[in-house]
Formats: sequence, structure tokens, C-alpha cells
Amino acid sequence: MMCQLYIICILITVFVIPFNFGIEIPEKFQKSNHTNNWAVLVDTSRFWFNYRHVANVLSIYRSVKLFGIPDSQIILMISDDMACNPRNPRPATIFNNAHEQINVYGDDVEVDYRGYEVSVENFIRLLTGRVPPDTPRSKQLLTDEGSNILIYLTGHGGDGFLKFQDSEEVTSQELADALEQMWQKRRYNEIFFIIDTCQASSMYEKFYSPNILATASSLVGEDSLSHHVDSAIGVYIIDRYTYYVLEFLEHAFSSSEKTMTEFLAVCPKSACLSTVGVRSDLFKRDPSKVPITDFFGSVRPVTITTDPIDILDIPKRKKTEKQNKTNVLEKRKYLPQFPVHLVQGSA
Amino acid sequence: MAVLLIIFMTAVFGAFGDDFIEEIFIKPLPPTHLYSYFQFITLINNNDSFVHSNLSPRSIGEVISRFKVEELHLTLTEGQWRHNQWGYPVVDAAPGAELYAWFDPEVEDIDAEWRKLSATLSGLFCASLNFIDSFNTITPQMALWPTGPVKSNVNVTSLLRYASLPREIVCTENLTPWKKLLPCESSRGFSALLNSRMIHNTNYHSIGVHVRKVCASEDCTETKLEIKQTVALVYDYKIIGSNNWSFIKLFGHGLPGACPLATTSTIYIDITSNVTFPFQLSPPPDKIVSSHRGGSVTNLAVYNIETDVEMINVGVKHNSKEKLGVNVPPPLHFNRYVLGYGKEFGGIVTELINNYWTAIDVVVLENAPWWLPIQLSSLRINSEAESKLVKSQYYSPGRSRQKPYHLELLLTLPPRSTTTITIDFEFVFLKWQEYPPDANHGFYIGSAIVTANLPTAKNYTSIPVSGISYNSTFNASQPWYPAVFRTNGAMVSLPTPDFSMPYNVICLACTVVALAFGPLHNICTKELLLKPIGTPLSLTQKVLNFFKRKKE
Repeated sequence: MMCQLYIICILITVFVIPFNFGIEIPEKFQKSNHTNNWAVLVDTSRFWFNYRHVANVLSIYRSVKLFGIPDSQIILMISDDMACNPRNPRPATIFNNAHEQINVYGDDVEVDYRGYEVSVENFIRLLTGRVPPDTPRSKQLLTDEGSNILIYLTGHGGDGFLKFQDSEEVTSQELADALEQMWQKRRYNEIFFIIDTCQASSMYEKFYSPNILATASSLVGEDSLSHHVDSAIGVYIIDRYTYYVLEFLEHAFSSSEKTMTEFLAVCPKSACLSTVGVRSDLFKRDPSKVPITDFFGSVRPVTITTDPIDILDIPKRKKTEKQNKTNVLEKRKYLPQFPVHLVQGSA
Repeated sequence: MAVLLIIFMTAVFGAFGDDFIEEIFIKPLPPTHLYSYFQFITLINNNDSFVHSNLSPRSIGEVISRFKVEELHLTLTEGQWRHNQWGYPVVDAAPGAELYAWFDPEVEDIDAEWRKLSATLSGLFCASLNFIDSFNTITPQMALWPTGPVKSNVNVTSLLRYASLPREIVCTENLTPWKKLLPCESSRGFSALLNSRMIHNTNYHSIGVHVRKVCASEDCTETKLEIKQTVALVYDYKIIGSNNWSFIKLFGHGLPGACPLATTSTIYIDITSNVTFPFQLSPPPDKIVSSHRGGSVTNLAVYNIETDVEMINVGVKHNSKEKLGVNVPPPLHFNRYVLGYGKEFGGIVTELINNYWTAIDVVVLENAPWWLPIQLSSLRINSEAESKLVKSQYYSPGRSRQKPYHLELLLTLPPRSTTTITIDFEFVFLKWQEYPPDANHGFYIGSAIVTANLPTAKNYTSIPVSGISYNSTFNASQPWYPAVFRTNGAMVSLPTPDFSMPYNVICLACTVVALAFGPLHNICTKELLLKPIGTPLSLTQKVLNFFKRKKE
């Protein structure tokens, strides 16, 4: 057993050492001191004709997952069921392109909040961490002061508000206050806030907490427009801004040296038909020196060591005290699966 | 090395005695449908702690031990099982989500643990089970009984909690975590067939997790924990394209062999309908079993699947073109619908049809949400207020926003009869904030549960309570064949306010105020003066008049 462990340790060192010299962070990137990455992806609109918003959010979900953020660190909120909607002629799929190239729903999607659960209350509770006591881990944003959070919102909005489920709204002031509460509770290191709605930039104008970089698909007074319609299902399939963001992210896998400045310039007015808004005054670093992987990728803490680790020294799990109860062997039996006693009693 | 590894692994699994069984049962439902039922059973010998888990899913194990759950049933279903056309499924499930569990007698506050359990399961299965609360939970008295062995002096009814969410949607995000509980996940074995694009393209699909204890010894002083994961699918031949089905047509690809961790991997295909609708199976089965159960004969083709085999594509070719057959309904089937018009009163009707030549005992459980009050005084059975058919009755009135209405009836259905249970309800106004965002879609009422003690095994496919794998149904004649069915759900439209009304009121009120204010303001601030009427004066005359006035 010992012998095997040593072999494993040696193998690990042999494989790990070369990387020690191989990886170098390009100098043009300012170092970030975040230790983990999270993503909150929210689609706020219900009803079939808002198919494109679900496609938007799932496209971003797919991208951040491919960049390496694990499902446990992605909170995905989808207001309505489009994939298994009776109106969807291709069940369990959602495409972001009329050519049906990529099924963004995939085979391993995990939706954390869905249907009626997507409400303003749950969204604010999730951000601020004030969730009910029995909330499972998959429905909590378990961030700390070293977390970089990507927040992506899509839906229908107006000047200073974003509609949830066509029945309630979150205002820009409420959102700004929630982010401030997160900052005071040390729930983030940096936030990258993306919003794709009409008059989107009104949502970040009230922000006053530090370390937030925000971008929006349109300025106040402008509409964000959809990209193209899929005549097979009769609805618009994706929004312009997200379409170009996705195009950018699809090409970014090969070279992850892209910076946030490139990301912020992803959709010029000629393509988006609306002006992409950016707010960087709260952000302390220069976006041109921040790699997109600081928000879209995932940090995996790796400690490289050349010293062998003596695994046997790990403290043993405390054995639960054996109960002194003498285990009385009690007979069990299968019950009849029908209240036969009541029938016979009355008969 | 590989041999050593295998020996080592068998030693480990042998010592702990975890078993994994995977089975598929396929039954044609002529003339138009095909039923396929998957069950993955994990048997755990050491069910006290889940610090070490071998084949069992640790996440489920921890839930069971943390909340002291004795038995748990969770199903997520889309579509409605049509009993009168399709006969009986192996495991029936209500549309939407359905959860029920028996707790350990040691649990002090069962309601609190129940809420925690549903919240935890909602995270585990990506379903909105956290909407389960006291206002939609009931404790069935007669309809549900534990399928695992229980100690003799325990009142099992008080330990049971039941809730259903008929609106719950079921899609890939529920299947993903479900598949991750299996030892081979979806990479090998029968679960590799469960491709979400194919299984959601069916008329009925249901995934389930059923946890119970089973006897490990003859006298049942020791128990094992059984975690059974099920998938039930009903394919429509129209969607497949023809009635000649194969695994590639049903699941998108063939079977890549058994899960290497499984003790047995078996496919059973019901070929009883071969007599009326002749077909050929390919590849030929390993054996054909004829099972005599309660007077009805079932012929099953059995395939034992090995680990290292080429892709298997079990399929059926019909000899002739599609034929229409007379559909013989099963001994007991039912129907449920909503009565009434307007937004004040309505009623729910449950029809129970007994086709058999003897009487059948059934328990009917009606579960109405608090916003649909059903009154016991309005209960009519075959239009009679006091019916001789009722052997026992339980009614628990609901309370607004706290408790649902719960009615259970133990009935004896006379031979060859239709029994109609009618109960009236009234519509309740919800508070403005309580309406869901799509209130005009309508409100779902959960299925009624029908527990029957069938005297015949006709159409009966369920596994006997003491059995584990599907082959325990072979020649398993019993005096009674108990089964739990769910009727179809229903939908009502509650009196829904016009949500744009506040806006309209503001617009209208403002218009009225503006119309009233203008004239009133004019009257109050302006003085009416008489204006001399005459021929208009010329400019020179005006100047002359001005100077004249000065002089005066």
C-alpha cells in the first residue's frame, strides 16, 4: 500500500514539474486576485414568444461552461419552459440559430431556478445571500471576497426597471442597493454585469459599489433588437447583442488572450442597431488589461509541490461512537397494499 | 493488472454486498403505442451510514439518513397515462411532480422534516419541489401503504406525507441529475439509451426515484435498502414513423452493452400481442418465458445483456401492414372531469368503471387545494347522498392558505358498473399577489389517487411487493393484485381579475377629473361680464373716444 502511494506521488511529481516552467502569465494582463468564479444567468420573461430570451441565457450558459465554470458555480434562472413546451416541435432542444447548429439546451443542463421560482424576491435573496434556511446549495450563491461574478440578465425592460415574468419589476435602485449589500457583506471581488434588454443602460446607472464593470445592449431611449426569426417555430430566436457576444466567445476558445475591451466592443452600432453602453468608472483595473477569462473562465486553485506528501498522516475521520444500545432484532413484515381489514370488517 | 483489479473490485463489492440490477421491460400497446419501462435497482446492505458508498448514490443516501426517511417515492411526469387504452403501467405516476414519504417513528416534527426534505430534493433534481408546504401536503389514510417491510407496532399512516405539484414541468434538467445517481451514469449500460431528445418526444414520460427497505433475511429481521430509479415512456408509432420499432428508432442509437457494475442486465419484451399482431424480433431472444399469473398468460422474450458486446439493436418487424384491433379496456378504469359554468360554483366528477364480473374494492383519494373548497355535504355517489357502496370515509376540511381539502372513500364497485362520484366546489378569490404570472392560463387540480384491490391480473404488470427485479412477476399468482393508479388531472379557471385594471382606472379617473376640473376652474376663477354689442368702431373713432373720456 505504501509502495503504491509513493509510486503515485512520484508519478504526480513527474507530470507536474514540467508545467512549473511551462506556464507564464502574459505580462500585459494585470494580475487579478480573485480565487473563484461564479456566474448568475437570469432570463426574466415568460411565454413562448419570448423564446429568444431563453436562447440568450442558455447561449451564455453554454459558453461559460465551456470556458470552465462548473455547474455548481453557475446559477441559472429560467422563467419558462421552452425546451419541453408543447409548442416546440423539437422537444428538449433550444437553438440559438435558425440553422439549428447548436442545441444550447444540451444533454446536461442544470436549471437552478425555474418557472415561478424566478421572481424579484428570489433574485435579490440569491444575490444578497438572505435565502430561507432550508435552501439547497444549488440555489445559493456561495461567493466570498475572492469571487469574481458574472451577472447576465435578459428580458423586457424600460427606463430604470427590468420586468420579471410580466408581473413584477426590479428597479435599478433596488439592484444597485443589492449589489452594495453584497459588497458590504464581502460577497464579491469583482462583478461583470451584462444586461440585454431595451433601455438596458438605465439598469447600471444607479450602481455605486466598487469593482463593478457593467455593459448594456442599449442606451436609455433605445430598443435592443432581436437578430433573426426561425420560421420553423415562428418566433425570434436570439437577440442581436447576445448573438454577437456569442460569436465573439465562440472564437475566443482557441486564444484566450482576449481582453475585456475587446469584449465591450463586440457589437458595434452597425451590427446591434443600438448603442452598447459601458460603465467602467467603478472598476479599478484597466479593462484593456483584463483577460475575459477573469469573468468567463474559472480559477482552479492548484498547488504545485515537489515534496512528496505523506498521505498516511492525514488525521483519521473520527469514528462515530458506537451506540451502546443493544440492537434488538425486530421482525418486520410487508403490509397488505390495501386496507383489507376495513373491507372485511364491514362485510 | 486488469485481472487483479477485477478481483480487487469484486472483493470490495462482495464485501459490502451492493448490487446493481438494470432492466428494461417493453410492451407494445396495440395498435398505436409502445410502452418501455426502465428500472435501475441498487441494493445496499450497509444502510446505516453513507460515509462509504459503493454503488449507491451518496446524495440520495445522505438525504435518507439525514431526514430519517423510511421510504420515499418521487416521480416527475409529463403526459397522462390512458388506462382504458394502454392497460396498467408497472408504476403509475401523477402528471407533474409527486412526492410522498414515510418517516422514521423517531422523527419528532415530521412536518418540519418534510419541508426540509422537499427543499433538499428540489436542489437535487432541479425541480420546484420547494413549493411543497403545509398548504399542499396531506396525510393519506387508506390510499397509500408502505411497500417496504415495517415493524409490527408502528402506526405507518401518521408517518406519511404526500404532495403533488400538477403544474411542474419535466425536461432535460430533471433527467440530468437523475442519470448522475446511477453507478454507470449515462456512459454505459441501459441508461446510455436515455437520450433526452428522444425520450421527451413521447406521449408520456415519467422518471422516478423509489427508495424503500427490503427484507434481507428469511424472517426479515435484517433489511437492505433498495433505491429504484425508473423511467416510463410511451411512444407513439406515428412519431416513430411505423410500428416496426427498434432501439435506434426509439432511443437514437443502439445499446452499447451492459453496465460493467451491474449484477444482471436484462431486457424483457412482452410478445403476448404477437398472436393478434404477428411480428418478428431481431436479434432472436435468449429465451422465451411464459408466465401464468392470476389466470392470464404473458409471453416474454428475454435478453441477457453482457458487458462486452457489439452494439445491440433490438427491434421488431411486423409481418403485415398496420391492423386495427378492438381495444379491450382493463377491468378497472376511470375518468375525471370538471363540471359547471361561471365563476362561482363548480364540481369535480370521478367516474370509476368496473368491467369485471366481480365487485372490486377501491379507495379514492380526492385532494383539492385550499382555493377550491369541496364540501362533504355536496358529495354524491351515483347521485345518492348516502350510498351503500361506501365502506369507509375520511374527510379533512381545508383551511385557507394552510391546509388542502382531503377526502378518501373506500368503495365497493359492483360488477359491470359505472360509479360516479360528484363533489361540488366553490371558487375562491385570491389576493392580488397570490395570482401566478400566467393566471389566465388556468389552475391545475392534482390527480385523484385510486387504489384498487384487483381480483384479476389482467393487464397487471406491477412487481409484487416482496419482489425486487422484474422476473419476480413470473407466475406470481396472488389472491389479490393491489395497484395504485392516478386519474387524469383537471384544470379550472379561477375568477381572475383584469391585471391591467389599475392602469385603466388611473386613465379613466384622470380623464374624469380633467373633464370636471376644467369647467369648475373656469367657473370659479372667471367673472362673466356683459360685452356691449354694436357696430365695430373705426380706429379714428376709437382715438376720439379715448380723448373724450380723458376730458370727462
